[in-house]
Amino acid sequence: MAQLRQIAIYGKGGIGKSTTTQNLTAGLVEQGKKVLVVGCDPKADSTRLLLGGLAQRTVLDTLREEGEDIDLSSIMKEGYGGTKCVESGGPEPGVGCAGRGIITSISLLENLGAYTDDLDFVFYDVLGDVVCGGFAMPIREGKAKEIYIVASGEMMALYAANNIAKGIQRYAKSGGVRLGGIICNSRNVDREQELLRAFSAELGTQLLYFVPRDNIVQHAEIHKQTVIQYAPGSHQAQEYRNLAEAVINNQNFTIPTPMTQERLEEILLEHGMMDNIPENYHI
Amino acid sequence: MAKILDKQRYKCAMAAMQTVQAIERAIPVLHSGPGCAHKLSNLIGNSGYFSPNIYPCTSLNEKDVVFGGAKKLHSTIENSLKVIDADLYVVLTGCIPEIVGDDTEEVVEQFADAEKPVIYASTAGFKGNNYIGHEKVIDAITDGLLSPSEEKIPGLVNIWADVPYQDEYWAGNYRALEELIRDLGLKPNTIFGYQRGIRQIQDIPKAEFNLVISPWVGVKNAKHMEKKLGLPFLHYPTLPIGAFETSKFLRTVGEYAGVPSEKVEALIREKEEYYYHYIERFADLFLETRVMSKQFSVVADAHYALAVTKFLVNDLGLFPAQQFIVDDTPKEFREPIRQYFEELNYGIKAETIFETDGYKIHNAIREHDYHGYPLILGGYWEKSIAEETKAHFLNISYPIQERLVMNSFYVGYDGGLRLLEDIYTVARSRFN
Repeated sequence: MAQLRQIAIYGKGGIGKSTTTQNLTAGLVEQGKKVLVVGCDPKADSTRLLLGGLAQRTVLDTLREEGEDIDLSSIMKEGYGGTKCVESGGPEPGVGCAGRGIITSISLLENLGAYTDDLDFVFYDVLGDVVCGGFAMPIREGKAKEIYIVASGEMMALYAANNIAKGIQRYAKSGGVRLGGIICNSRNVDREQELLRAFSAELGTQLLYFVPRDNIVQHAEIHKQTVIQYAPGSHQAQEYRNLAEAVINNQNFTIPTPMTQERLEEILLEHGMMDNIPENYHI
Repeated sequence: MAKILDKQRYKCAMAAMQTVQAIERAIPVLHSGPGCAHKLSNLIGNSGYFSPNIYPCTSLNEKDVVFGGAKKLHSTIENSLKVIDADLYVVLTGCIPEIVGDDTEEVVEQFADAEKPVIYASTAGFKGNNYIGHEKVIDAITDGLLSPSEEKIPGLVNIWADVPYQDEYWAGNYRALEELIRDLGLKPNTIFGYQRGIRQIQDIPKAEFNLVISPWVGVKNAKHMEKKLGLPFLHYPTLPIGAFETSKFLRTVGEYAGVPSEKVEALIREKEEYYYHYIERFADLFLETRVMSKQFSVVADAHYALAVTKFLVNDLGLFPAQQFIVDDTPKEFREPIRQYFEELNYGIKAETIFETDGYKIHNAIREHDYHGYPLILGGYWEKSIAEETKAHFLNISYPIQERLVMNSFYVGYDGGLRLLEDIYTVARSRFN
């Protein structure tokens, strides 16, 4: 049996981390891989497509209502293709410490024996703004060793990705965590692929995969399904299969080299605009 | 910068629970982890009028960190009000709820209509030490319990001096300060110690002025009360010990309060006659005790270091070596305090070192030539360096483990004689 790969997915809020993670997971299970998805976001919407809805009680809700003496079966549900799904959850907005909540629930998962030997992949889907140490938990203490950042060609997405890389660099120096690449969830901005390639190179990593924009993803989401389940024959389903393939075969793991704000803006100017757009936009 | 804390001289801000405990029938309600409460109670060794080492605490655990401790705090206050018979409940927050962001103030405000007053002081350890915590409790009292008073009690003076329990002589010192104010024909008001509680707190706004007797602790409180209650204040930086400083103190306070100078001078004459009667009776002993030190160092908070240094120079005629101030004095007060140490009699100036690292303090003592046996007045931590340097050693500042202090005091004329007794007891026992 292959060694368990624990992977954390980071990226700007709203960039499509959960969508990408779940569709990627569907691609992996098609290949017979055993996957556990741990949602690390108080909003608890990281496993909706795999489970066919927000059917999940979060670890922290269960902990709050039932105490620590809980059963793994009450917090871990099986979703599409035998995927195991857990939502960490969090306190009510505005109170308590959600970061500590992530730490608490991951520790609880370990104690309850969620990390079984038959697993090939564990994905940690972490919320966008890594505001404190708690949200770096999946990449600390030897948990996820592999990180992918979901980004697009938009300025703020790249800005967030660069910031996340700073966090990874910090933990890479003390632990074994490495950046596996950037996954572009396309927003159809100018010269996006080229920009992302240049950005990844500057960051000392690769553009692992470019997922094109396709409305079918939204359709699948409305139906609470991954694209592979909703429209297995579609072009987009194949894209996610390719992404899964890229993750399986990825050998390129690096310590990122985050850039200064000035350098980031230079790259945007250099690669992020179409040459042929006239300066005068008016209609 | 992070460093090793060698020979700890103070505790975290939440140790201001000692300030609460010094107020009769007031109870601290700790919003903290159980370890904080336990450690603080062990260090202070007393939990006020209620019961040794028993007081309400939310005993926060990991679950409370994740979900917030507000509900637990609410039930803890609610049940404290039910089962503990107190006049005042003071909620003190530790680091945990302050980091998590519990809205303690909002929870406490829900008890605004409770039969007994519930107030709140933010005393997270990262905000400073227990000197700062003490000030936060006094501010909480001002904010939570006091409003400007039309009614004034003629001659009433609020006294703010020692930090209770941090200065183990606090109980006796406050009584002795009250006595001095009473001797001036004024009415002292203090809120700490035997039979001093909520009634005295309620009288605070009725006073004519606040009297802050301390180089820095309490100055901010007095400014706050001046703003909120319209109470003027007199800042007298030196705790008066012995005739020289006590007479100066009486003159300053008397003049500020409008006491006729003939009355003040008559009082001083009477007190000094009494004081020097004893000094004269033992003048030979002071002269003939040849082993007595020529130079001294005090290792204490700014409050005690200043008071004792002034006494030893001005009354006893000793010469100051370096004086070590160990309370982590806020920077804004350091220069004025340095100045106070340079205003000694006979044009003598004492060099002051603001230092919290006991290792460095001991090195400095070791390296100094005291021209004979050093005299070291400090915390228990100084016992080892005193033995090493064959010093005369008196344990007068935190931590005090060499003696039991119940209601002893060093304040005033009698206090000066007491300190002389203590110092010469040590010197005379050298060859016994």
